Amino acid sequence: MTAPSDSASAETPAVRCRSLGVSFGAVQALRDVSLDLVPGRIHALVGQNGAGKTTLAKVLGGLQAPNTGEVHVGGRKIPPGDVRAAQIAGLSMVHQHFSLPPSFTVAEALELAAARKDGRSFFRRTELQRKWQNEVAELGGPTILSTRIRDLHVETRQSLEIVRALAGDARILLLDEPTALLTPAATDQLFERLLRLRDNGVTILIVLHKLREVAAVAETVSVLRDGELVLGPSEMAEVSEGQLSDAIVGPASGADRTVGMAPAAEAAQETLLELAGVSTRESAFELGLNEINLRVESQEIVGIAGVEGNGQRGLVSAIAGLTPIADGSMRLGGVDATRAGPARRRLRGLRLVPFDRNTEGISRSAPLWLNQSALRLVGRHPRRFPLISLRQYKRQAAEAMDVWRVRYDTVAQPAESLSGGNVQRLILSRELAPGVEVLVAAQPTRGLDFSATNFVRRSLRELRDGGAGVLLVSSDLDELFELSDRLLVMYGGRIVARFEAPYDRRTVGDAMTGALR
Amino acid sequence: MTGSLQRVASTVVLVVVSLLLTALILWASGYPVGDVFSGIIQGAVTATGASTSTIRWAIPLLLIGLGVVVGFRAGFFNIGGQGQFYIGACCALAVSLGWREGPAPLVILCGTLAAIGAGTAWSLLPGYLRVRFGTDEVLTTLMMSFIGALVLQYLTAGPMRNPSGTGQTAASERIPDSFRITDSSGVSATVLVLVGGVAVLVWLLLERTRFGLSMTLVGRNPTMARWQGIDVRRVGLAAFALSGALAGLAGAVELYGPGARLVTGFSPEVGFTAVVVALVGLLTVGGTVVAAILFGGLQSAILFLPIVTDLPPPALVLLHGMVAFLVTIKFKAVWRRTGPEAKAAAG
Repeated sequence: MTAPSDSASAETPAVRCRSLGVSFGAVQALRDVSLDLVPGRIHALVGQNGAGKTTLAKVLGGLQAPNTGEVHVGGRKIPPGDVRAAQIAGLSMVHQHFSLPPSFTVAEALELAAARKDGRSFFRRTELQRKWQNEVAELGGPTILSTRIRDLHVETRQSLEIVRALAGDARILLLDEPTALLTPAATDQLFERLLRLRDNGVTILIVLHKLREVAAVAETVSVLRDGELVLGPSEMAEVSEGQLSDAIVGPASGADRTVGMAPAAEAAQETLLELAGVSTRESAFELGLNEINLRVESQEIVGIAGVEGNGQRGLVSAIAGLTPIADGSMRLGGVDATRAGPARRRLRGLRLVPFDRNTEGISRSAPLWLNQSALRLVGRHPRRFPLISLRQYKRQAAEAMDVWRVRYDTVAQPAESLSGGNVQRLILSRELAPGVEVLVAAQPTRGLDFSATNFVRRSLRELRDGGAGVLLVSSDLDELFELSDRLLVMYGGRIVARFEAPYDRRTVGDAMTGALR
Repeated sequence: MTGSLQRVASTVVLVVVSLLLTALILWASGYPVGDVFSGIIQGAVTATGASTSTIRWAIPLLLIGLGVVVGFRAGFFNIGGQGQFYIGACCALAVSLGWREGPAPLVILCGTLAAIGAGTAWSLLPGYLRVRFGTDEVLTTLMMSFIGALVLQYLTAGPMRNPSGTGQTAASERIPDSFRITDSSGVSATVLVLVGGVAVLVWLLLERTRFGLSMTLVGRNPTMARWQGIDVRRVGLAAFALSGALAGLAGAVELYGPGARLVTGFSPEVGFTAVVVALVGLLTVGGTVVAAILFGGLQSAILFLPIVTDLPPPALVLLHGMVAFLVTIKFKAVWRRTGPEAKAAAG
């Protein structure tokens, strides 16, 4: 079970790297990073989007060959970019994105992950079930082993990723932003699991975004900024929260320029978005909506709280016009839009920040300028001259992105070259451009770092103050409490509770779990 | 910019490698490689009428290849150009034989429109199946292509057969000479202006209209396009329609130009070579023009070579195959990097 070198190496760091440097083209992702991780502890790695956290994790895991420097795992030097060697040395990674094959059953996926050289080529289902029973015991009943990965909840998938990582007897676990997709409750569960693993002697390096989470689980913390290790690994007890955030953000970086529209001085309160008794059909992937009534007026932010998977996706999709409304009616800006297609809703001033920014919000391979100008392609303009000037499109896209402080080299670079925070800025630069009447923002700050999160929240507030209406769907209660003028709670495809500020965390929490009807 | 330069360079390398590999095989089989390649140059460029012949073969390749490029922009792979080309030619023939007494310009116009309409219909059916039910368009367009070839065979052997024909292969009657827009060389100012104009229009549509940009977004990430309010189905159908229209137009040009009549199974590979042409042309309009001329030259040389060497014509089809083979491998690699983005697995 344990690696032979374990007993002899109380002082040998579990992971040691020396002067790592990685560059992608002109971008220096890591520079001269040296780090020792003491075995048997939980180490946190924090930093802004694009600071190099994921790159560092990939280098340690052997997925990315560094340009300079070397990595030792359990005292053994790992040839650059050799995943297999890192695994044999006992290191395993849990990626930011799920890696288990969706069409496999849980038992099959685990067997696939654990497959070693001595493993047999053929297996029997019943045998697999028996073999993996203990590993998944705490995830659910015995039926879970024969469930397909794609049918699992996000939280279960996340837990399973960890089981998968440990399936090969790993002693060192790298987790890259494992909490990004989790609800607060699921995050707590995850941390409990990690602490138990730590007690069993597993060394853990966890990449995190939220300082609260770092404080909850980590014993040491290291900070990356612009590819450099600026702090740590330091004992959590020895650094204050203020020191940490200073290290993350860096010395007085120029504050984000405030953006937004001039406040509409005497904008009369009007209903911009109204859903009356809206129901949708249930699909294989999504809960149907059940008699949703809601209203978003000008100059207000309406929050939608709820545990993920309680119909929030269906709600956003129905408002966007991507899921047909089976029953009830919807009005946009006072005009009936129940049967209007997505394009007509867009033309009426509906703007969307979708849940999954990398697949729904942008085209990763398309150039930045095309992503930025996407809304200009909607609707027909029969009277206008059919040919367009790309130079004008590109210039306007560049101007908009500059206003929103998207960091890029040229407007022609593909959107996938941007970091998460910059992708969200790009999306905001498009969706919050003049013409926005109602914004539906779905998890707009998920996976973003502190400064990007603050930027997004400030933008939403300014948008509201400028006269627009905002429907904010989030699983982050702090965010909802901070921003929402009113708060609705979704549970099982319906709205089960409505709150006005000030909010009581307990009551809202009860409504979210269905305890309050 | 460096990225696109790199792609052009790698394509040139690929064509050169294909030539070398072909030379290697010919050499190993005992053919005089030097003669063969000088024969290719003669047959494509220097011999009398060779460059005209190159252009003549480049024209259908270009038109059908542009159709492939258009479909591809929206993320669809219309490889059924051959059938759309045949059906287009058949409809133009039907109009022309049915209205022999009509004024030439009007008949040609009507025939061409009929060809365009037929090609469109022939690709709209697979297109509809694709956008409505997600049926794989590679299979359906290919199957429709076989049906198109059979329709041609039926018409030339049955209703439109030339009763006085004696050859072994069935052929239709000839259209009146006044309906032709070129002599038998297949090249005339009219045709060049027409085809050049079409290429420019397609380029403008793809690169300089909002619709063209919508197609690009749909092709790269339909999910994102839907969220942006773009009607993904409408854009997809339009791409299929235009793709088939271009192949149908190629059929009309073939009939009114060099053909004058239809022979069963004529130009049997042009629709498939056009797919390779579009790929070698990096799925851009300009690149496809260059690649079409290159492959037109090759086609011209294939017909010319038996005159100067004892090489059997199929030996040169080898070169074709080699390019197609290599370009497909490269395309797979490029497609993985720049093609439609994989559907979200997470969440």
